[in-house]
Amino acid sequence: MERSSEHNDLATALAEVRPAPRDAFTQELDKRVAAGFPRRSRLDGSPLAGFAARIRGLPPRRLLFAGSATALAAIAVATVVIASSGSTPQRVQIALDRPIPTEANRVDRPAHAQAGGARVDRPAHAQAGGVQYAEAIPQVAAPESSASSHAAGVLVVPSTEGESGVEYSPSHGSLNAGGLADLSRNRKIERSAEIDLLANPADIADDSAKVFAAVHDANGIVLHSTTSSGRNGAARFELLIPSARLGDALAAFSSIDEVRSRHEATDDITKPTVTTGEELQDTQARVDSLLAQLSGAEVESEREAIAAELRSERGQAARLRNQLARLHQRTTYSRVLVRIQSGSSIESGGTWGISDAFHDAGHILGIAAGVTLVGLAVIAPLALLCLLAWLAQRLWLRSRRERALDA
Amino acid sequence: MDPQLARSKGMSEALVTDAGAEERTTVDFERLYRSSHDDVYAYAAGLLRDQAAAEDVTAAAFERAYRKRSRFNADRGSARAWLFGIARNAALDELRRRGRQAELNTDPADSASLLDRGDQRSELRLLLDAALGKLEARERELIALKFFAGLSNGEIAGVLGISESNAGTKLHRTMDKLREACDGAL
Repeated sequence: MERSSEHNDLATALAEVRPAPRDAFTQELDKRVAAGFPRRSRLDGSPLAGFAARIRGLPPRRLLFAGSATALAAIAVATVVIASSGSTPQRVQIALDRPIPTEANRVDRPAHAQAGGARVDRPAHAQAGGVQYAEAIPQVAAPESSASSHAAGVLVVPSTEGESGVEYSPSHGSLNAGGLADLSRNRKIERSAEIDLLANPADIADDSAKVFAAVHDANGIVLHSTTSSGRNGAARFELLIPSARLGDALAAFSSIDEVRSRHEATDDITKPTVTTGEELQDTQARVDSLLAQLSGAEVESEREAIAAELRSERGQAARLRNQLARLHQRTTYSRVLVRIQSGSSIESGGTWGISDAFHDAGHILGIAAGVTLVGLAVIAPLALLCLLAWLAQRLWLRSRRERALDA
Repeated sequence: MDPQLARSKGMSEALVTDAGAEERTTVDFERLYRSSHDDVYAYAAGLLRDQAAAEDVTAAAFERAYRKRSRFNADRGSARAWLFGIARNAALDELRRRGRQAELNTDPADSASLLDRGDQRSELRLLLDAALGKLEARERELIALKFFAGLSNGEIAGVLGISESNAGTKLHRTMDKLREACDGAL
């Protein structure tokens, strides 16, 4: 009770000695308040500092709104830019991924397959190239690359079986990107491509003929083709095109009619090629060794055993050579699938309907979602770092301030 | 305050309180300034014990509050507590900048005139000044917030980031210590 009374007296005394500001200071502060605290230094008056101060002064809700609006605007702009860059009549999609699975493996299929429509006779030059694939492999010394392969030959697998050896040289593919050619200089690259063309039903036959002509010009091979005419006419070509001429051939196919889609893919088969070559060398060395042993063998049973082993090794060597030749062929020739579908082109007066609208809307939404995802992937870590830095700075400042009281 | 104050551009902006939700988040700066500028100065002077520094801190606190006025959120406390939080940060920044606990910069002329007058209040002032000088900065801050700035225990708790009961307990102990310091000074 007594202590409380003492505290009250002390409180009264403290209130009496409460510091009061000078009148001059109060008047000066009044003026500054009335003027809205004008910035005094030249630096503070700079537009940048003023902008930063305005940003700092904004309430968080408005900042959030402004940030969201800015992000939406950025997404919209990016979407428009990306969508417009991909909205040319011939949309070209190039992807570097696995080769397209085709039906090219059906090498013995007759070239003149029919698909329920009128049969289109292939031109003579196409038929010439359309030999059965399995038989053609040993002779598939690429017309273009065979010469260049000697110049740039990287690995020559020796052969003592009466052949001149299988050479596999860097492919001189003519993909549009020049950088790819540089990258594949010492690599064994298998290429494939797929083109979808849109043609008027009446043009299917003519377009098919142009495809054969393009294959002939590229010294390519038609593995399989089907063509049908009529209202829903269509054509499909499975081709082997020399990799050195792939770019020219694709350009020729693209010029035949309207391109709906174009897809190119590559597959690096350097590793299996080198491995097979090394195995072949090893096998050949064993054959040579066995031949030497055979010549020195004096006992009949020993000679028979060595001869049996020699037969096995030779079989293995033949198998490896065949495998190496196939790998070589895969880099020398590229698989190309050309599809021609009948339909009306937008360019040729086709109407843009509700289904097209849905398609385009989905396309744009997909782009917007992609842009948003990429943006988030970039911004989210940065924002997290900034948040952590801000929190750390606040904690540090708070700690420093509290320490100032303990000084 | 200058009668033209409210008509001036700065105050017009400060007085803007949007309707609806913004009313809860926009502080009435003019009213806050009028009701609190003496209290903020008294708090700063009590803590820093330096007239010039207290004036600097007071001006800085109101300038910061003015620029951040749109960020005030009534849901998180009263406008006075918000203002004194800003003032405290400004005062601690001043302490930190100086790197020392500021000593009372008593104006010699004032002391002389007080002593010459020899009245009881002047003696009381000198006695309390001496006693406050013996307190630690944290304790002096509590005294300044409570008796110079006139904050309630709840507001002090909000400013210091402690519970209200803790604020009351610390204040009680500080008063005991101040009383002992006064007894020692006599």
